[in-house]
Amino acid sequence: MFGLFRRNRARIQQQRKEVSQSHDFSITIFHSVQQNVENIRNIMNSPDDLITRVFTIANTNHSCAVICIDGLVDKDLINDKIIRNIQLQVSQLDRPLSSSPTIILRELENAVVSVGEISKAFSLDDVMYAILSGDTVLFVDGADEVLIIGGKGWASRGVEEPVTEALVRGPRDGFTENLRTNTAHIRRHLRDPNLRFETFKVGRRSKKSLILCYIDGIVNPALVEEVRRRINTIDLDDVPESGYVEQWIEDSFLSPFPQIQHTERPDKVATGLVQGRVGLILDGSPFALVMPMTFASSLQSPEDHYERWLIGSSLRVLRYGAAFLATFLPSLYIALSSYHPGMIPSDLAFSIAGSREGVPFPAVVEAFVMELTLELLREAGIRLPKPIGQTIGIVGGLVIGEAAVSAGIVSPVMVIVVAVTAISSFALPSYSAAIALRMLRFPIMFVAATFGLYGIILSYIMINIHIANLKSFGIPYSTPFAPSYLRDWKDLVIRAPLTMLKTRPEMLKTKDPDRMYKGGRRK
Amino acid sequence: MKAFHYGDEEISNKEILISVTTMIIGAGILTLPRGVAQSTRGLDGLMAIVAGGVIAMFFAWICAKLSSRFPRQTFMQYSIRLVTKPIAVVITALFGFYFLLFTAYEMRIVATISKVYLFDQTPVEVLGLIFLLVVVYSVSGSRAAILRINLMFAPIVLFIAIAVVLMNLGYFEAENLRPFFTTNWKGYFQATKETSFSFAGYEILLFYVALSNQPEKAPSAAIIGVSLPLALYVLIYVIVIGVFAPESTAQMIHPTIEVAKEVEVPGQFFERFESIFFTIWIMTLFNTAAMALDLSIMCLKFLWPKIKKIIFISVLSPVTYLVGMLPENQLAMFKLGNFISYAGIGFAVLIPTLLLIIAKVRGVKGHA
Repeated sequence: MFGLFRRNRARIQQQRKEVSQSHDFSITIFHSVQQNVENIRNIMNSPDDLITRVFTIANTNHSCAVICIDGLVDKDLINDKIIRNIQLQVSQLDRPLSSSPTIILRELENAVVSVGEISKAFSLDDVMYAILSGDTVLFVDGADEVLIIGGKGWASRGVEEPVTEALVRGPRDGFTENLRTNTAHIRRHLRDPNLRFETFKVGRRSKKSLILCYIDGIVNPALVEEVRRRINTIDLDDVPESGYVEQWIEDSFLSPFPQIQHTERPDKVATGLVQGRVGLILDGSPFALVMPMTFASSLQSPEDHYERWLIGSSLRVLRYGAAFLATFLPSLYIALSSYHPGMIPSDLAFSIAGSREGVPFPAVVEAFVMELTLELLREAGIRLPKPIGQTIGIVGGLVIGEAAVSAGIVSPVMVIVVAVTAISSFALPSYSAAIALRMLRFPIMFVAATFGLYGIILSYIMINIHIANLKSFGIPYSTPFAPSYLRDWKDLVIRAPLTMLKTRPEMLKTKDPDRMYKGGRRK
Repeated sequence: MKAFHYGDEEISNKEILISVTTMIIGAGILTLPRGVAQSTRGLDGLMAIVAGGVIAMFFAWICAKLSSRFPRQTFMQYSIRLVTKPIAVVITALFGFYFLLFTAYEMRIVATISKVYLFDQTPVEVLGLIFLLVVVYSVSGSRAAILRINLMFAPIVLFIAIAVVLMNLGYFEAENLRPFFTTNWKGYFQATKETSFSFAGYEILLFYVALSNQPEKAPSAAIIGVSLPLALYVLIYVIVIGVFAPESTAQMIHPTIEVAKEVEVPGQFFERFESIFFTIWIMTLFNTAAMALDLSIMCLKFLWPKIKKIIFISVLSPVTYLVGMLPENQLAMFKLGNFISYAGIGFAVLIPTLLLIIAKVRGVKGHA
């Protein structure tokens, strides 16, 4: 048995060695254009979407080649600004091009190719990366260097309202799959020269850009250093979504709670950066990551700050209540109805007992069946096309609830409990935190069925132990409750008036702790 | 991912303060009014409570002073410097044993009272076991987290205690408080002894101040930490005596829970408030039990530094469970409680005082 495993492992290691040998890109660039083109064609096995255009530079006998990938580039730009200029504009230059290829290349860069984004590469590896990521490459016969001309242009989705984080008040633009659009969004929010974007390449094969953003002078350098360190450990072949990055760099993969916030809203990232957090944007993913995160931040929404403080505060209080109900309501119902009926007012107890008459199952089975049905409905509603999804939610909920009650499978009170639980869990602004609480609900229901209130309070204690032990980038998940930063409590359950929020979150230990200067005080 | 120390594992004096409060109020508050009312008349017990509180404040100050004299040194380290290694080992071992008994007793109290107020059929053994499992889960985590949980639970617990006091104001009868000053000296003495037991728990300062990031401010934190339970005890005692009168208070096993029973929640939203009160109170009992077990492990770890924490936990938890289940009935349980209280007085009063005197006399200081 073990021998089989060992042999298997040896075989896999052998395969790995072969693969890593066959992907050695450290080939130098040839002097001859023809050879280079051949070489690139060979590497990629001459696909249809590879454009290779070889032609002679006007007034010289040097040939050059433009290589790019169809679909990833802006063809108008290549035709008008590169090929046409090289073919025509060269003849309009003051003095004719010299015969040295290096000088020709420099002249082309300086005077002919009229594109803003231009750089040079020396190795085939860089050239291949440039081609594959949508840049255009210009080879000149005999030159050591290669011009890399930025002309990315592909079909992408326009800026739309964030789907998962809709707000009543606040900017309606959301991130898209285009990295540059996303960074531009953040720049549009923060015209701060200290806003830093650091680019990392992640994924051995996908080689996607991952941008680390922070505001120098606000953020704690130790935090940035730690995020950098964790990003550098990423060793995946493909990173299709920022969720991969999140799972790789988070502190504990055993915890049900998200330790990094993800958001589709540029304003949320910008606010986080100004608070002294660090953001990550992955190419191809409309979800940016913001870290570190605490439990409290999963119950906060940008809207709390956009609306006036009384509204913001009451919404926050409401959400804390919602989080409690989403986690504990079904188990409280189970515990009270099966262990402590004396604790509910007798009239209510009688009506509950009366409505449960004829229901063949104990309360816990009833609750489980209904909660599972609800989760199924929720999941189905997401998968179905949008217009149908909404109707299936309402219709399915109503019909199943009504039918289950009249069929005598569940009691009407149970339907109310399940409905309130569901509504509460959807009221939470963070989808993944809401899911975490919804998941916890099931074991707590079991415990409540065996140990009643005693079990519920012990599970509550256990969740708190877990939260106090959990960390997100060095910050305990329970901050600012404990370790308590009383100054941060002004923006916790209650959102104090804007003029009172004079400092950045103390827990982030920012370099620049003040948010407001003299302007915030009455003159 | 590897742990990253952004802030440190250090804890502030806020945690120390609240931990002292939590450790003191623990289970003591549930029985305190009975013990005091048994030997005093009218509201005279209040003086005993205040006296007990002031005494406790003084000795808590001594504990904090002693350990803040040796900043960032563990109890074992500085006691070795004060009284040779063999004696320090004995003291530490005794502390370890004491905290183990404390955990066991706390677990038993939770199980017994839960059986009375929440369940009548589930056996005490099972209730105790799952409580202990939660405590073990907490102790397996980081030490700072244990102290942080105190901070998270304290507001809820204090809120429910204040709620009990406020909601009972309607049943308060001033007549029950009289007559004043009719207790004899013996009664006062007896009651003060009783309250001193309820104030035990500040000995944790000897161990936890080493974790504080501002040890020099620990003594004042200790005093505030004791004054919070003092205020709470005074409130609870006044309300219990005002509602029940001393004679009947003396007959109740858990007068504080009984007084919660009187509460009627406005709006009739739920009944039997005492169940809710005790359910919430389990949080405090959990906190004290977790701290005690943690300290017990800490003491053993001083003695055998090379053994892993998980091994101590897996050895200590069955022992704790067995000790906790040993008393056969309520009476035997209270005997265990009394024994722990006497031991606690010894550990919280005698040892720190002696050590501080030795430190003063020999002039031993922090970084020698």
